[in-house]
Amino acid sequence: MSDTTRPDTARADLAKQAAAAPSLTARLPGLSALGPLLALILLVALGAYLNENFLSAGNVTNVLARSAFIGMIAVGMTFVITSGGLDLSVGSMAAFIAGVMILAMNALLPTMGVGVPLILAGMAIALGAGLLAGLGNGLLVTKARIEPFIVTLGTMGIFRSLVTWLADGGTISLDFAVRQLYRPVYYSGLFGIAWPIIVFALVAIAGQIAMRHTRFGRYCEAIGSNDKVALYSAVNVERIRLMTYVLLGLLVGLATVMYVPRLGSASGTTGMLWELEAIAAVIIGGTALKGGYGRVWGTVIGVLILSLIDNILILADLVSPYLNGTIQGVIIVLAVVLQRSKSSA
Amino acid sequence: MSAAPERVDAPVLELVDVRKSFGPIEILHGIDFALHAGEVHALIGENGAGKSTIMKILGGFLAPTSGAVRLDGKPAPYASGAQAEAVGVVVIHQEFNLAPDLTVTENIFLGRELGGLFLDHRAMRAGTQALLDELDSPIRPDSRIRDLPVSDRQMVEIAKALARKARVLIMDEPSAVLTHKEVEVLFRQIERLRAQGVALLYTSHRLEEITRLADRVTVLRDGAVVRQAGRGELTEDGMATAMVGRKLEDIYPPKRHHAGAVALEVRGFSVPPLVRDISFTLRRGEVLGISGLVGSGRTELAEGLVGLRAATGEILRHGVPVHVGSVREAAARGMAYLTEDRKEHGLLLDKNLTDNLTLSTLARFGTVFIDSGREEAALTRAIGEFDIRAPRRDMKVGNLSGGNQQKLLLAKTMLGDPEVVIIDEPTRGIDVGTKSQIYAFIDALAAEGRSVIVISSDMPEILGLSDRVLVMRHGRIAGELYGERLTENAVVRLVMGTNEQTSGSAAHV
Amino acid sequence: MERRTFLTTAAIGTATAAAGLSLPAMAQGKKAVIGVSIPSATHGYMGGLNWHAQQAITRLKATYPNLEFVLATAGNVGKQVNDIEDMVATRNIDALVVLPFESEPLTSPVKAVKDAGKWVTVVDRGLSQPGIEDLYVAGDNTAFGRVSGEYFKANLKSGAKIVVLRGIPTTLDNERVDAFQAAIAGSGIEILDMQHGNWNRDKAFSVMQDYLSKHKQIDAVWAADDDMAIGVMEAIAQAGRQKEMWIVGGAGMKEMIKRVMDKDPQIPVDVSYTPGQIATALEVTALRFVSDTPVYGRFIIGSTLITPENAAQFYFPDSPF
Repeated sequence: MSDTTRPDTARADLAKQAAAAPSLTARLPGLSALGPLLALILLVALGAYLNENFLSAGNVTNVLARSAFIGMIAVGMTFVITSGGLDLSVGSMAAFIAGVMILAMNALLPTMGVGVPLILAGMAIALGAGLLAGLGNGLLVTKARIEPFIVTLGTMGIFRSLVTWLADGGTISLDFAVRQLYRPVYYSGLFGIAWPIIVFALVAIAGQIAMRHTRFGRYCEAIGSNDKVALYSAVNVERIRLMTYVLLGLLVGLATVMYVPRLGSASGTTGMLWELEAIAAVIIGGTALKGGYGRVWGTVIGVLILSLIDNILILADLVSPYLNGTIQGVIIVLAVVLQRSKSSA
Repeated sequence: MSAAPERVDAPVLELVDVRKSFGPIEILHGIDFALHAGEVHALIGENGAGKSTIMKILGGFLAPTSGAVRLDGKPAPYASGAQAEAVGVVVIHQEFNLAPDLTVTENIFLGRELGGLFLDHRAMRAGTQALLDELDSPIRPDSRIRDLPVSDRQMVEIAKALARKARVLIMDEPSAVLTHKEVEVLFRQIERLRAQGVALLYTSHRLEEITRLADRVTVLRDGAVVRQAGRGELTEDGMATAMVGRKLEDIYPPKRHHAGAVALEVRGFSVPPLVRDISFTLRRGEVLGISGLVGSGRTELAEGLVGLRAATGEILRHGVPVHVGSVREAAARGMAYLTEDRKEHGLLLDKNLTDNLTLSTLARFGTVFIDSGREEAALTRAIGEFDIRAPRRDMKVGNLSGGNQQKLLLAKTMLGDPEVVIIDEPTRGIDVGTKSQIYAFIDALAAEGRSVIVISSDMPEILGLSDRVLVMRHGRIAGELYGERLTENAVVRLVMGTNEQTSGSAAHV
Repeated sequence: MERRTFLTTAAIGTATAAAGLSLPAMAQGKKAVIGVSIPSATHGYMGGLNWHAQQAITRLKATYPNLEFVLATAGNVGKQVNDIEDMVATRNIDALVVLPFESEPLTSPVKAVKDAGKWVTVVDRGLSQPGIEDLYVAGDNTAFGRVSGEYFKANLKSGAKIVVLRGIPTTLDNERVDAFQAAIAGSGIEILDMQHGNWNRDKAFSVMQDYLSKHKQIDAVWAADDDMAIGVMEAIAQAGRQKEMWIVGGAGMKEMIKRVMDKDPQIPVDVSYTPGQIATALEVTALRFVSDTPVYGRFIIGSTLITPENAAQFYFPDSPF
């Protein structure tokens, strides 16, 4: 370019300035952000209207506890997506970790006996396996520089087939006595709130704080927004990216720790399509799929919306069960459309 | 044929009193310019003189604000590059207009493929081969553009223009990326086209090429025609003088005269593949200018110094060798780089002012949690210190004007309190008022005892700011100028390589 | 026990060689190659089916050294079609035992095998064109639903309320559910709800949780599958309503058979739909090549009510399923 005035960009600048003026007054902060929250409130109202048991403590506990696994994973996914990545392997990873954890606990049983140490050992193994799995994904993305979509599509298949292999095509079941001891981790709780709900809430709060108030969160947004700028601004882009995958792996491990006591088993179908639910929850919550902007509390709302749709469809008998998928799809797309049209207004 | 300047035959394509403004800034001031059949017309001028804008207007990519574009004496019947091409006005852009994943043949016939329902691959391939043979080019018609070196891509662009049967051919520095041998081939083609009666516009920073090719030369400065001459009327020195010949405006701060101790020394520094064996020193309180053409390796050198590119050689700070492998390490050594590309490398356009300001130095704003109070205070300070004018503090940086973006970027760079600051194109694309503010900031940095390197394509800027100037050419230092010898003429000669007349051919390699 | 599918072929090869060396060739017939094409072990039931197939192959090879088996498992329809074509083209099989992924797309590839003069045994899912196969071995989905329904009818009073979990929406699932509904017709039993649990534990768990929130009175659950029954049991245990209702699953998973044997009041009975049908198909097909026994026709393995009395004969503790 022999002309430093760059007329085309100069013109674009002017156009942008002109466009900026009205939109600045029109755009109130947070208005578009309320889209998913509004959808959630509408769903709750609809549920309460359709079935009197909807707001019962039992049903609320069920829905929240069910959301917990996907929820913890989706919080981790928020960071990965915010920094411009993607992880398709989380569902298979959860199944694989559950399989490894159960086999390890069964194997340790003769030496350690049934007791809290065995449970703690199992939990440590699950978290360790999650960390390693996330590290593997992260290294392939950052060091080998392979597209995250391809890396995690590959590891998705690998984890899925490994768990099927470990289970010999069937189901891996936790020893009965161990299971009885471990069961309360899913089914009981503190002050009447189930453990999975408590853990999910803590993860969500920590995630929200990490995204808004720590360097890690700020760097994730910067990298997703423009990784070149982040690199030129002394941000260790590779390490932050790697950390998002490791964090997600750890959270998948944590979700597995809460999942295993529920049914005490893992099979080739465990965690099927969790990755898509987690990604959908993140996007419904207002995080940009292309990265650059993350909203952890939005993700939590996205997860709750997905769980509630399922719950209401069964409680209400509105449509043929064959059409459940249609209703879910329509609501997901609507939630996002609502949000987009508001934010561009 | 040797053309006389006062031709009688009517021009093919002509600009009559063309003015062009972007917003309130007028950058072309009443240009009259004509291209005649069978004539090579060279357009020369410094960066920013308005050459690209003129070429864009001729090629239909931009409309003039006032004045007329005439084709065969009638108003030009086109409003876009594609329409212009359809009537035989073809532009070869400097940034190539080729689809990288298609083959040479597919590119050359893009949009005018041969065949009916099915493509006639054989005919298109044969046509391409014929064109390439005319150009003496060994490029295979089935190669993908992606796999070709830059010089071959330039040849494909030329072949594509030939295939368009152009009546008017506008070439924006076609020789910049070609080897000596390829330039010879290009010249033969230009001469052949001229003989066939095509009207040609040629630009180049290599004045010896202008002397050899041009039947007519138009010199542009600051958006106005300052000289028109026929073949043989202007020497290369005369051209350079005409391009430069203006007074420095007094938007530059007065020169400082006391440099301190050596703050940075660079020895045998290379940034493969372009930059080789660079050595220089930089003192406290000094502004060192680096001049040279785009592509001479200035930015690559700067990015190598701050660890953004792999480099070899020695960097010494205060006489001690240091290792700089990343921007973080550079920051730890008190070195910072302000990029020339603020939109792609400098600022997060969809983030607010605060997020951008503190991104490089976030570790200073809290240990575990970010202290947003301190961030806000830093922004308040930066807004005051650098006179950043933003309607709202939480607006997206992309909605700021270029000048305010640049001031924010400067504030961001200085937040890390670096001792050595490398500023690449400090005033690209910003208005004169903000320019002088930025010059004052740079001067203040030096006055505080910091060391500043300014890389710029803007000649007056380099001269107005620098205590000393390094001129780069083909990845090496072509010369160093200071004191009495630091004149615009001397810099231009080094930049253009006209000092190397005796070994002129080396310049093309 | 053959644990690893990918080792099977090698193991079979070695076993054949060893058998061929140690035993003199059996009198009956020449060498015969039997190709076996089944879906891969993606869930519990198919895992069991794979296990039974491998067990039967090992057993048959030991008994009949002149038989050779080629086992291929496929994760989708396309892979299964390729497998079958490869078997004919490269392994020169004499017979094909196939459990079609889906009826429609596999009909013409299997017909091609038949037209090439090979023996064809079809297992479990019929082809869409009758008369291709020489031998048809299958479970009985209608009986599966009917036997379950009859148990409900016999053990619940009129006015009793039940909930049903269905599988993945398929013809097979429809046949079972239709037969179940026909069997309880006129009994006065009310079906409160029927939703898809997709033969998946987790899905069944949450569907049952919602049933429990929605309905104050549930007397029994037809889970229609043992994997789903496990999810249902957990949901009931969580709600503390174990005493209120019993559950009937189906297929014969070892954990469930064990509960029936142990007289668990929550799981009074199970209904067989054995993954062992593949073993039956292999055994009968093998007979065709080692004897003159007539084996043409249809071989339907009935769905039986598994009670504490007969449970032992359905119990395979080594099977993964």
